[in-house]
Amino acid sequence: MGRLCLACGLAVAVSLAGGSARAQDGQTPAEKELIAVLRSGAPEADQALACKKLAVIGSADAVPDLAKLLSSEHLSSWARIPLEAIPGPGADGALRQAAEKLSGNLLVGVINSIGVRRDPAAVEMLAKKLSAAEPAVAEAAAVALGQIGSAAATQALRAALAKAGQPAVGSPQASALAEGCILAAEKMRSAGRASEAAALYDEVRKAPVPPQRKREATRGAILARGDAGIPLLLEQLQSTDKAAVAMALGTARELPGQAVDRALGATLSRLPPSRAALVVAALEDRPKTVDIGMFLRLAQTGPKEVRLAAIAALGRVGNATTVPTLLTLAVDGDADVAGAARGSLGNIQGTDIDKEIRSRMAGADTKLLPVLLDLVGHRRIAAIDAVVPALEHADAGVRAAALRALGQVVDLERLPILVEQVVKPRDASEAADADKSLLEASVRMPDREACAEVLSGAYAKASAATQAKLLRVLGAVGGTKALDTIAGAARSADPELQDVSSRLLGEWMTADAAPVLLDLAATAPGEKFQTRALRGYIRIARQFILPVEERTAMCDKALAAARQPAEQKMVIEVLRRFPSVDGLRLVAKAGTVEAVNPEARAAAAAIIKKLVDVPSDLWSAVGPLGLVKANVEIVKATYGAGANQKDVTELVRKQVGGSNVILLPGAGFNAGLGGDPAPGEAKTLAIEYTLDGVAGTVAVPENAEIVLPVAKAG
Amino acid sequence: MVDRSSRLPRRGFLRAGLVSGAAAIAPVVIPGSALGLDGAVPPSERVVLGGIGIGGRGTYDLGCFLEQKDVQFAAVCDIKENRRVAVKKIADDRYGTQDCAMYRDFRELLDRNDIDAVLIATGPNWHSTAAMAAARAGKDMYCEKPCTKNIAQSLILKDTIRRTGRVFQAGTQRRNLPHFAFACELARTGRLGKMKRVYAHPAGMQAMTSGWLPAEPAPDRDVVDWDMYLGPAAWRPFNPKLLDGFNFEKGGGLVGGGVLEWGSHCVDLCQWAVKDCDPPVEYDAPKDGQLVARYADGVELIFREKDWIPLGSCPVRFEGEDGWVEAGDSGKLVLSSPALLAGRSVEEIDGYPATFHVRDFLDCVKTRGQPKGNADAACNAHIACHAANIALFLNRTVRYDNQKQEFVNDTEANRLRSEALREPWRM
Repeated sequence: MGRLCLACGLAVAVSLAGGSARAQDGQTPAEKELIAVLRSGAPEADQALACKKLAVIGSADAVPDLAKLLSSEHLSSWARIPLEAIPGPGADGALRQAAEKLSGNLLVGVINSIGVRRDPAAVEMLAKKLSAAEPAVAEAAAVALGQIGSAAATQALRAALAKAGQPAVGSPQASALAEGCILAAEKMRSAGRASEAAALYDEVRKAPVPPQRKREATRGAILARGDAGIPLLLEQLQSTDKAAVAMALGTARELPGQAVDRALGATLSRLPPSRAALVVAALEDRPKTVDIGMFLRLAQTGPKEVRLAAIAALGRVGNATTVPTLLTLAVDGDADVAGAARGSLGNIQGTDIDKEIRSRMAGADTKLLPVLLDLVGHRRIAAIDAVVPALEHADAGVRAAALRALGQVVDLERLPILVEQVVKPRDASEAADADKSLLEASVRMPDREACAEVLSGAYAKASAATQAKLLRVLGAVGGTKALDTIAGAARSADPELQDVSSRLLGEWMTADAAPVLLDLAATAPGEKFQTRALRGYIRIARQFILPVEERTAMCDKALAAARQPAEQKMVIEVLRRFPSVDGLRLVAKAGTVEAVNPEARAAAAAIIKKLVDVPSDLWSAVGPLGLVKANVEIVKATYGAGANQKDVTELVRKQVGGSNVILLPGAGFNAGLGGDPAPGEAKTLAIEYTLDGVAGTVAVPENAEIVLPVAKAG
Repeated sequence: MVDRSSRLPRRGFLRAGLVSGAAAIAPVVIPGSALGLDGAVPPSERVVLGGIGIGGRGTYDLGCFLEQKDVQFAAVCDIKENRRVAVKKIADDRYGTQDCAMYRDFRELLDRNDIDAVLIATGPNWHSTAAMAAARAGKDMYCEKPCTKNIAQSLILKDTIRRTGRVFQAGTQRRNLPHFAFACELARTGRLGKMKRVYAHPAGMQAMTSGWLPAEPAPDRDVVDWDMYLGPAAWRPFNPKLLDGFNFEKGGGLVGGGVLEWGSHCVDLCQWAVKDCDPPVEYDAPKDGQLVARYADGVELIFREKDWIPLGSCPVRFEGEDGWVEAGDSGKLVLSSPALLAGRSVEEIDGYPATFHVRDFLDCVKTRGQPKGNADAACNAHIACHAANIALFLNRTVRYDNQKQEFVNDTEANRLRSEALREPWRM
């Protein structure tokens, strides 16, 4: 299963194996062992673990021993895990008995467990606890009774709630009593006893309980009554209490039936516009009974806030019949209205909507036509024939919209039309629009090689300035043809084309650019572009998923081509990132250049640490780097300055790895050694060690290489 | 030369900014002015926010909230003094005041009538318990994931949110990223044909810390309140290694691991792709690096560790009879056919930012609509993850009845649906 496992400290899976076969006494061997742990006076951690396991395999036989833990401050919560889970009356009885004896939080916990188990036999005991001196106990009892939800439990809660002023209005006890009643009422409602539920909700609404409980009861009272609850819903929407309105807006979404939509629609004019807009939003969230005609009316007249909400709603629930109205609104003089309508036209689902928009293009004026063109583009409506003529429209706004649309809908066959707009733009503004559209269209083409053919054909005939633009589009398209064209540009005599193409190649997203880049690293006109090409080649070696042999070969070639330490270090870093024996050999070779000697030594040490086995000849190869095979033991390590020293022995020990060079994680000693013990001061890492059994010490200045000196033979 | 990326149907990658997809994905329900999007927002229109358990992830989330002009962050609660102080500084620096209040006990924060909503970014141990306490206190909430520790918590959480009329947004921000949303839409709307399989990648399913470590001297309660840190988790002695809320209790049994850590995202997206239906009804034991679950209609939900197109973390894949789509955190999509793009364009956003998810939440706080990561949707995804965890744990097939909310004739599995909370905490 690999990583698909639960390897946890308190896992019980192991104990489940073979633990399911029950003996005649009903216990499994595993359960007997666990009960024995509980009886043995074992450490608390072991008893906790036993409880956890008994939650899965424990039987009634485990209950007495678990019950004994209910009075333990540390283990009560562990014991209740199996006691909540073990079926049967034994666990119920144990919890009830404990509830008679315990107090404080331990009693609260036991009552909570009784509530979870919904033990009907506990009602009488819990009813008495409703008047417990400890408020938390009374609260827990009230909620537990609500969870049980039987007739007797509900009666006990009702009786307590009816004692006006006992407990105090708004107190936690009153809140819990109300919660218990609401829980019971919810059970009634889901069981189809709506009128009983409504009565109980009403009792809570009238009781001196906190406002949130009243709102919950009001919601329940509305839902339990169905259509008959609509007047109460409308009353809440008129409330001056913001929270009551909020609850009503939520409840309006829950209450089924068309009568709600009608009633809410009728009340809109009597509400402040801001609130009416929220009601419109609630109506929008009732898709089963939605009244589109109402939204259409609201969208056209009335307060702006309500209109905007209705227009937005049409975008979600509208259909083809709403398009004419929305198109009219999309060219409204009010920018907010027009923007909302355009957004909704873009959102409405359905191909019939597309047909409607398409049909409106013929004869549309210069105000509407750009809107329709943008919708064609946004919705990707197949309307190229209607879009192309608009490129020549007298109105600049229409032309710009046509360019945008074409970028979204043009196909390969008519891509040259868009290319032509790039090659011969009417003015600078349209040139930018055309560039953007061509890019968007080109990266969308299903056949990128065919697309690149079109673009490359245009490139061959274009001016130098346009060629640079087309190269960028080709770079975004990718593929073999695009790569060929861009590689050709990189070898051209034009500095701008060299610059653009070498940048594009340096960021190429597929590894097939590697040979091109390696060639350019030697042949590109000018050192700047050669270096850029080489770095692009190294990037491919670093970033792409490659077989190890191929990556190593690329690094070998890159090292041969690299003339500067910067690129040599980049190659060494690649080899360090992907450790291999051959890579280590290359690092050793690279390290012969003095300028990169420290990087090569660090890389070699890192690779050695990760390799399972380093061939003996390689130890000879890395020897000139100062690396030797070594069995190193760290005796002590401290890091700091003056009196401010910290013990970093364990941290350093973790980094020892087969050689005399130690690499710390992170950037710098402070990061690798768990913080800065002496800020602002020059620090030293002092290490006492043995290397192949020979004791030694070394003091390493902050952030210097950690190379343990090797005692010379003799 | 082998390069997997070169084998991708590159036409399937959607480019940034082709056409703004924002209008298609942003719920525009009330005027922007009312949502505080166009300038200064009067105090009466602001959502007053409190933060509970604001560590690393919480600080990121908080940053997304503080970007919104209609948010006033008023108070922070954390069991760690250094976090309280750090978050107060962030808020006070943002507003140029000293007004951000600090609490060690979140109940005091919830008692404040002026706070409308809370950001819950504690460790997973606390998420559902704190969320339900917030709901009972009448607060809306943005709750980080995994939201629940077991099936029972998932069921009770969604009931509680509904009963209390609260707006709940799980920290499943990928639901508000256009490319994931589009992928799910392709599946939901039948564009891929009849659905056959949805794939999730619950990476790294390994517990990292035992639930009980040797006792060490506990710091002063004002510095670290260990009792509040344990909260609903069964008692254990103080040990500083357990103070990493992300890993706390992962060793304690069926409380998460990678199945929940990542499944709460990627399984959640799979659930969205299958129209947020009930969770699968059957979960096989893991085999060959994958665990297969089946929905009632036969569609398979496959938890898979490998063989993903490299699209970044949290990949999902949806397969229908007519096509497939795969998406990941790089912001990119790969489609079986470019024709699937017809009619739509999708903005490419990488790095899975939570900004849009936070905005969705705030809009819904005002409209009382359902945000994308609402409790019903999130809890169904969590139930699927918990059930898969139980199949992993028992190493055998389990069958789940969504109506009865129990495993079918399976006592062992049923006992793993819930776990007692430490006193005095309750669901």
